Formats: sequence, C-alpha cells, structure tokens
Amino acid sequence: MFKPLDPLLHSQLRLAIMSLLIGLEEADFTFIKEKTESTAGNLSVQLDKLEKAGYISIEKSFKGKRPLTTCKITSTGVKAFEEYVENLKNYIS
Amino acid sequence: MEKQLSSSESLALITEMIQKAKKEAAGDGSFQLLLWGWVITLCNFGHYFLAKSRYEMPYIVWLAVIPALGWSFAHEFKKRKASRIKTHLDDLLGQLWVAVFGGMVIVLAFMPALAFRHNPVILLLAAVGVFVTGAIIKDNSVKLGGLVLFLGSIIGFLLPVDEQYLVAGIAMVFGYLVPGYLLKNKFKSRV
Repeated sequence: MFKPLDPLLHSQLRLAIMSLLIGLEEADFTFIKEKTESTAGNLSVQLDKLEKAGYISIEKSFKGKRPLTTCKITSTGVKAFEEYVENLKNYIS
Repeated sequence: MEKQLSSSESLALITEMIQKAKKEAAGDGSFQLLLWGWVITLCNFGHYFLAKSRYEMPYIVWLAVIPALGWSFAHEFKKRKASRIKTHLDDLLGQLWVAVFGGMVIVLAFMPALAFRHNPVILLLAAVGVFVTGAIIKDNSVKLGGLVLFLGSIIGFLLPVDEQYLVAGIAMVFGYLVPGYLLKNKFKSRV
C-alpha cells in the first residue's frame, strides 16, 4: 500500500531546502540560496511555507549592519523528512 | 508553477543536497593541526637543543605558545563568525578541544608535583584529542596521528626528561604536521 508523499516536501525547492538542512545544525539564507540555485524571492516564499508547517524555524538577526536570516530544521521537520524518504523508498522499490 | 518531481528525481535531489551540505560542512580543518604542530614541534626541539647545550633556561622557548594561543582563538572566532552554516560536529569538536586544553593547563599547573615529567602526559592528552577528532571527521590519517602521539607518550615515559622533548618533537611531526598537511591536500582536491 503506497502512502501519498507529503505534498509540502514533494516540490523541488522545498525538498532541496530540507535536504540541505537535515545534515546541518543551521544555515543562513545566502548559503541555501547558493546551493539550491534559487532566486531570493522564491526561496523566501518556500521558506515561509516550511516555517508555517513547523518544519523549520527561522531566526532573523543582524551580522554587523546586514540582516541575517538563519534557518534550522525542527524535530517535526526531521520526522516529516524521514517519513517522506521512507515513503519514497516504497515508490522506487 | 512548481516543478513536479518523479520519485527518482526526488531521491537524486536529496542525495545531491546532502552532498553539497557535507562538502561545505567538512571545511579545511587543517589550520589548528598545522599551527599547533609547528609551534609545539619547534618548542620541543628548541627546548631539547638548548638543554643539551647547557643553556640555563631552555624552557624560555615555550613563550611562543602565548602568541600561538592568541592566533588560534582569533582564527577560530573569525572562522565561526564568517561561516554560513553551523554543524553539530563543530560544537562537539570545539568542546573536545576545550576539555583537552583544560587537561593540559591542569597538568602544566602541577609540573613540580610531576617532577617536570609532564611532557608525556601532555602528549597523552593531545593523543586523545587528535584520535577522537580523526574519528569524528572520519579521517584515518588523523586517527593514525593520534596513535603516533600515544606511542610518543609511552616512549617518553621511559626516557629522562630532556630526551622526552626530542621524542615529543618527533611525535608532533607525525601526529600533527603529517595529518595536518594530508588534510589540507584532501580539502584542496575536494574543492
């Protein structure tokens, strides 16, 4: 019996963001933007969706005079990601 | 419109992103090994040769540790400030070396109680630090460096005080400098 894949994660950019954050304690916005090769606007929208779902937490601060956005995966996010990968395995095998 | 992913595309994307994060997280990591490798190797050899030439205060060479400490802390602070990511391993490694450094300070504070045979004990603490660092960053050359330091400590315990400095100097070359340069080269070929 195939379980449906979490629609929030089954999207290119959001999955890329979660895959980056799963192995890190935290990462800043510019790092995620560079590695996912996304635009700042689109990335902001997708980060916002993930935050609203409780999958990531976002902290806004300042590094000198520059604004700094730091993202961190939450325990809910880790669980959702693990479930997604588990379900994905069923689709592939 | 968001791009719909097939199962295999999803899996490929996950793998690619995990690799990218891993690559960035691994960093160079050789700076501290090389800094301390050079400073402590030269101090040990300096102490040995000054003692052998019957210089009254061969321990004067250890003053070089003071600017090295400043450089080491400043580099770490700058690196962490500039880093765009933070990993669980960074904290673990940081705490390991704070504990090792604390142990060294305690040993050095009790040098007279140890009849100034503290050098092999310091090597032993460094051996634990280097070996565990190698295990954490999954690098066998660093782990091997730790084993060399353990061996240096054992040999040191069997020798008179002055000779302990010569052994420690050699152990530092193979325990810190060799794995440090290997790590630097691995990083260069990775990026």
